[in-house]
Amino acid sequence: MSNLDHGKFTRVTTLFHSLLGLDVFLLFFTGYAIMFNDELWWMLTLMGGASGVTAIHRITGIGLVALVVFWITLQLISSTGRSNFSKIIPGKEDIDAFIQDIQFVLGRADERHPSARQFAGYKADEVPLLSYIGKGVVAIFSIELTLLAISGLLIWSKTGLAAMFQTKAAAMAFVTFHGLLGVIMLMGVMFHIFEHGMHPAFYPVETKAFIPRSMVPEHHDDDEEPDTTGIERLSLSPSWRTVSTVFGAMTVIGIVSVLIGSIFDEGYPVPRELAIGGGPSSILLTVGINLGMVVLGVGLVLSMYGNVLRIRWEQQLERDERPAAADGGEPQTDGGQPEGRQKLRIA
Amino acid sequence: MTTEEDLPDVNGYSRVSVLVSAVVGLAVAALAVVWAQGFRIGYESLYRVNPSVEGGGIGSDWVFGNTIPALDFLIALIHAADVIMGAFILVMVFIHWAAFQRLAGQMRDPGEDVSEAVAADGGSPARGEGQGGDGA
Repeated sequence: MSNLDHGKFTRVTTLFHSLLGLDVFLLFFTGYAIMFNDELWWMLTLMGGASGVTAIHRITGIGLVALVVFWITLQLISSTGRSNFSKIIPGKEDIDAFIQDIQFVLGRADERHPSARQFAGYKADEVPLLSYIGKGVVAIFSIELTLLAISGLLIWSKTGLAAMFQTKAAAMAFVTFHGLLGVIMLMGVMFHIFEHGMHPAFYPVETKAFIPRSMVPEHHDDDEEPDTTGIERLSLSPSWRTVSTVFGAMTVIGIVSVLIGSIFDEGYPVPRELAIGGGPSSILLTVGINLGMVVLGVGLVLSMYGNVLRIRWEQQLERDERPAAADGGEPQTDGGQPEGRQKLRIA
Repeated sequence: MTTEEDLPDVNGYSRVSVLVSAVVGLAVAALAVVWAQGFRIGYESLYRVNPSVEGGGIGSDWVFGNTIPALDFLIALIHAADVIMGAFILVMVFIHWAAFQRLAGQMRDPGEDVSEAVAADGGSPARGEGQGGDGA
């Protein structure tokens, strides 16, 4: 069974995803090193102190503006982008998919809804461009990135901020607002990393977002309607149980900790009401927020690993095509193929 | 073999549209830098004045904290949004965690012997994964 499954994204989309991911990770590391400076002091020091961190944050922030405007323009001026627009709007099938996911977990449904399925296997044709989670991610991240970019630019422009807020404390409260705004995305990205890194069929990374559709072979050599996705033919990785349990726990602890931290650590550098100290800071919260950063770090590594897989896959495709052209024969389909080159549909 | 042409929603983007979008993106980013960086007239140095000066003066507004009700409301609102979305995201993590456990239960255990099944159809295993045709 192919580990590539049902790639549906274009090369531009996969490259955009990687660049956006890298940029957002850097924004998180720098932005939350400032906001959670009590807990992430080492990160602040590592990136050159306050001036180093804010410099990296501004450079990557401008990178974010460039990427977001690039993507919006591309979606507007290209027919592919315009035709895809309806496919990212949540609909009734997405609510059904959410409900069926709960039923699946409770054992009341035999399989996940097509709009929830990450591993499509034989049923790849039934699966939409984005799952219900994918649509939610696009919607939330679009709103968040737009608001964060605008508020970030306002903060950067001291005159812009001073024109809006006459007192320095109010201006700093706006900085707090900017930081709190990103917390939803911070938690969402942790879930995103867990969802696409720990699926048992794709562990350690789902390659759909890294290997474009044009490089994924699809076989339609029978007209039979498949009964199952074919996941029962896959072997579980020996390390999956341990790693997914540890990483799942880290994801939950990371999300809970940054959420608690955002409630109590809002006062950087000036609280809404002037108070001594920056809220409760405990070892548990420090450990938890640091675990959250480790989850993000794993996401960054997995994103790079996804691109390494794409490059290796490209090289493998080139190697496979060369001997086939030389002797005119069919490429080998059994035993001599790379893992991902196995038939998507097993006849 | 399905070609991309059969699936209009996954057709690639043309080089021209990618290029135009890249130019627009970079231009807007450059303008944003000019806007954010271009009009600074020494507010930084004003902000460095020690706010603890007795009897007010420059920096005395630190004492009052944020006094803009709209901003106060925005921060309270975003706190609420963070908590609600955080709880929802946690629910999604748990649902997926549990779903992954169930999916893993449907898969073959690591190192599970598939040699008998392979013998049934006369094939040979490909790394013991996904091949062998033993069916479910």
